[in-house]
Amino acid sequence: MQRMIPVDKLARPEDHILVPLDKIREARLEQGMTPFNAMPYEEDFLKTRLHGICAGEFQAMEAAGRTLFDFPDAPWEFQLDMARQVWDESRHAEIYLKLLEYVGSYLGEFPESEVLWSCTQVDDPACRVAGINRGLEGLACDVFEQLIRMAQKMGDPVIERAVDYVLADEITHVRMGSKWMRKLTEGDPERLKKAQAFQENIDNLFNFGGGRTSQEDARQIKQRFGEKDVEVDATLTIAREARLLAGFTEEEIDRLIKGMSKSAAY
Amino acid sequence: MPDLGNRANVMGPQPLGPIKPQPPAMLAAVDAFLAALMAGRKDEALAMTREDVRERVAQIAAAIKPGVYSDAQVLGKARVVEHYFVKARLTGSSAPPFTLQFRIGPEGDRWTVREAVNLTGVRSAWTK
Repeated sequence: MQRMIPVDKLARPEDHILVPLDKIREARLEQGMTPFNAMPYEEDFLKTRLHGICAGEFQAMEAAGRTLFDFPDAPWEFQLDMARQVWDESRHAEIYLKLLEYVGSYLGEFPESEVLWSCTQVDDPACRVAGINRGLEGLACDVFEQLIRMAQKMGDPVIERAVDYVLADEITHVRMGSKWMRKLTEGDPERLKKAQAFQENIDNLFNFGGGRTSQEDARQIKQRFGEKDVEVDATLTIAREARLLAGFTEEEIDRLIKGMSKSAAY
Repeated sequence: MPDLGNRANVMGPQPLGPIKPQPPAMLAAVDAFLAALMAGRKDEALAMTREDVRERVAQIAAAIKPGVYSDAQVLGKARVVEHYFVKARLTGSSAPPFTLQFRIGPEGDRWTVREAVNLTGVRSAWTK
């Protein structure tokens, strides 16, 4: 079996639409939308967001599995953690499949992008866990925390509890990432720096053009969910509390917020 | 996933909203576009294509021998807001299947093709 599976070899069922993120961006721009993910003020926000997360859970499951396979010489405990993560992500994928159905959607309603898989393209396990577990799973903490607050405002215990259940796992995954990034680079500051830089690249990739803010700074807008008008964040927020629980330092979180808000990527 | 019948009779949380139906005009435009490609009616296919993508569609049209394919099957559709990515396969008894993917979106009262790619022999829809 091939190690380090490149982006264009990611296998999907024939009826699945997998496109580069650029293609989704072009389609959104042509329709006068922001270039990145669906924003909370869009009509289809909940469906699109849950769909993106569901596809992300599948890719996270694949990524942890590939990390296990790609680095057979890594410590046994590392491999055990990755195997556990595969199991966690597969449960998450099932949960989000059900949530998609719950909001009136289905897997495949929207295209899947390859962008998360592109974050696996590195041949050092320390970089891999820094990027996937700390970068992407940290982002998941942000996204899930915001969804939970939104569900609370909607008075929807199904989404609130299901996502909270998943968030608990993601916090563990970030902690695993922090642990292994440090353990695998012990006594090798250069390698640690490389891993941190890889994570930083991923954080930058997902800063959505500086459209993210802290929870306190998020402007509120009205959104209609079913029969209810609910005030929701207009931006994608950064979940300080969840990130602290996951082992990020205050300094790291502040740096993230600063970097997110000043980006001129778009 | 199996259809569990009348959802309202099923215990547990019910869907918050309905599945968004695909616009009939889009489905008709997809059929017309594929039929034009299969029949070698290049001008008709190009007339449904936005100007900046015509060269790409012309290349795809040129790769499809007229009359060779007798059936067009839509493999998948996925939407971005109101635009749809459509993956389709043309089949016929005397040629290997031809797979293409395109994006179609509303433009006034018609639907136009905004990008297209030949996916024949490619493992996934990932292209750059």
